Amino acid sequence: MIIGVEGVSKKFCRSLKRTMLYGVRDVARDVLGFPANSNGLRSDEFWALDNVSFEVQRGECIGLIGPNGAGKSTLLKLLNGITLPDKGTIKVAGRLAALLELGAGFHPMLTGRENIYLSGAISGLSKQDIRKNFDAIVDFAGLEEFIDSPVKYYSSGMYVRLGFAIIAHANPDIFLIDEALAVGDGSFQSKCYAKLQEFKEREITVIFVTHSLDMVMTNCSRSLLFDKGKLVGDGTSKVIVDKYNRMTTRGAQTENILHENRVRGANSRSASKNIEWRGLFNVNPDEDRYGSRKAEILEAGIFNLDHAPVQILERNREFLIKIKVQHNDSMPAAVVAYSIKDPKGIIMCGTNTLYQKIDMGKVEGGTVVLIVFKQVVRLNAGDYLLSVGCGAWEMGEYIVYDRRFDYIPFQVAAVWQRVGLFDPESEVEWKRLN
Amino acid sequence: MTAALVPESRENTAPVQSTYTPCGVSRDGIGGWRIMFKELAESRRLIWLLILRDISVRYRQSILGYVWAVVPQIVMVGVFAFLHASRVLPIGGTRIAYVAYALWGISVWQLFAGCLLSCANSLVSSGSLVSKVNFPREALVIAALGQPTFDFLVRLAPIVVVFIWYGVVPWWESVFIPLVLLPVMLLALGLGFVLSIANLVIRDTGNALGTALTIGMFLTPVLYPPPVRWPFFLVNHLNPLSPLLAASHDLIAQGFLTKPEMFAAVCLLALVLALGGWRAFRVTISRVAGYA
Repeated sequence: MIIGVEGVSKKFCRSLKRTMLYGVRDVARDVLGFPANSNGLRSDEFWALDNVSFEVQRGECIGLIGPNGAGKSTLLKLLNGITLPDKGTIKVAGRLAALLELGAGFHPMLTGRENIYLSGAISGLSKQDIRKNFDAIVDFAGLEEFIDSPVKYYSSGMYVRLGFAIIAHANPDIFLIDEALAVGDGSFQSKCYAKLQEFKEREITVIFVTHSLDMVMTNCSRSLLFDKGKLVGDGTSKVIVDKYNRMTTRGAQTENILHENRVRGANSRSASKNIEWRGLFNVNPDEDRYGSRKAEILEAGIFNLDHAPVQILERNREFLIKIKVQHNDSMPAAVVAYSIKDPKGIIMCGTNTLYQKIDMGKVEGGTVVLIVFKQVVRLNAGDYLLSVGCGAWEMGEYIVYDRRFDYIPFQVAAVWQRVGLFDPESEVEWKRLN
Repeated sequence: MTAALVPESRENTAPVQSTYTPCGVSRDGIGGWRIMFKELAESRRLIWLLILRDISVRYRQSILGYVWAVVPQIVMVGVFAFLHASRVLPIGGTRIAYVAYALWGISVWQLFAGCLLSCANSLVSSGSLVSKVNFPREALVIAALGQPTFDFLVRLAPIVVVFIWYGVVPWWESVFIPLVLLPVMLLALGLGFVLSIANLVIRDTGNALGTALTIGMFLTPVLYPPPVRWPFFLVNHLNPLSPLLAASHDLIAQGFLTKPEMFAAVCLLALVLALGGWRAFRVTISRVAGYA
């Protein structure tokens, strides 16, 4: 175990004046040797982190996700040892390097070269170490031309490239990154990911804070979900990202319990008539289904152009996705959507009736609508999962009525190989030039 | 950019285990002072780099550069010399020419005041370095001594000129003056440690310090010889800087100390303050790092 966090809580004060007052009291207690009074909340204080516990093993790559203000950056500061927790213990076994802010430690009047030496010294590297790695750092950052200009003339992208380059060569055991890779152009980002891969191979533990869920799913095997200071999820990235998605859309709250009961009667009548594809598809028993059920997806399926059900599609052939939606109230017809994901959870493609400019008008309670999407699959051979959903925009917010994630697994087969995610359908011509 | 400080070659060293609890940081359970000195030793290159940074950056975008380090003091001494010569202010006699006396006194005072102000503001002016990076932050406070010391050395040039002009020949024992100035800096450092933390929490501290030092200069025999009348001679006894200043004057003017016991007492005080201030700093820095 390389990091152990146990029952950690940290509180902050909202008002500046009170912060000063509490600061004086706390410092006095520290100096005089009294234990700090951390258990309760004084007025204007709140728990930025509340009873967080988890362990990290060597070599793991972990993503910390959660809404803004959930306490992720605070946790990184605590792991870094800059401030102390108010409750609980943190154990860190190994050297830690962190990129918590663009150019912290950079002095704007110093040149890039001088800042490299200064940052290296702050990080505890010796002069020889820095000199050995100097060229590698400058090369990684791509700043050969500007390394002798004062850093205040650098763009924010150059800042973060220099910062990351220095840290990447600091040879740590544990690496903390706080949303700092959001800046930087495409080629730099790919350099960073390559470096992170290298870290993973060298068994260097990496902890990420990010809002880019794609990045979390591709790079991190494990994720921690935070909300309002509490650790609400700890598991494989895909599961946690789904949980996060659910948290941020309103469909998860089943406030309409009464509504559901009222319409259950209407349900049972029309439902049995319309469910006809049961048994035609191998559906995913672990599908992730949630929503308020103001409208529900009775069933969905994949069909070829002859309306026969298929679960293996041939690349570059047209196919149909059929979705049946039952509306349980008088309402404008729900927006119906599908998306296709690969097993890692990356969304390949998808669309919905709103994007396709379909207006189905208003419906009564009990109306069942069949939507058919026709498209060509350009995806390369492999396994995929079809997710379907319906919802609507109510008062500026998107409410999920019914979402069925990873409902139907299917495969794409192809005779000839192509590279990557989809087939560009290249046509090739050639002729001799001499 | 941070890392816990450990020696370069990881292969030979046992893994560093840090534990962070509400009561403080403990590393492998060893007691405080040894770790403090160890980390200080490891930081000496950082301190040197920070000092170089401060000195080289200060006048990068200016033309007159280091001239600005000497001008204010020369102007002040010039004004007081005029007032003294025209008998407007009743200042007593000094052993060496008044201008030389005042210029030397002011330079030593500026060393103390500059060090103290610089230390007190060191954390506040480092901003994100304090709140986002983990390294022994006393390096910042100690490095803050660098620039005022450098300024002092620069001011030795006009002092030498003035001494030659007024025919003041210091005794050879003056080579021991650095030993007198060291307690001055330790005094400033000790107070600086405490004030730097206070300044982080309550920013008034920096401002109040500026005013206090202005008053303090007039409560130290810098521009006037040590008084003998009551109640003014208390200035010599209650102000810890007075014995140090008097000792430096003694070395210049007569080559031996008139009051060695007072000098020794203040040296001890300076050492105690420096170590005590450092300890208080270590204990409280984690609590206030968020205020930067």
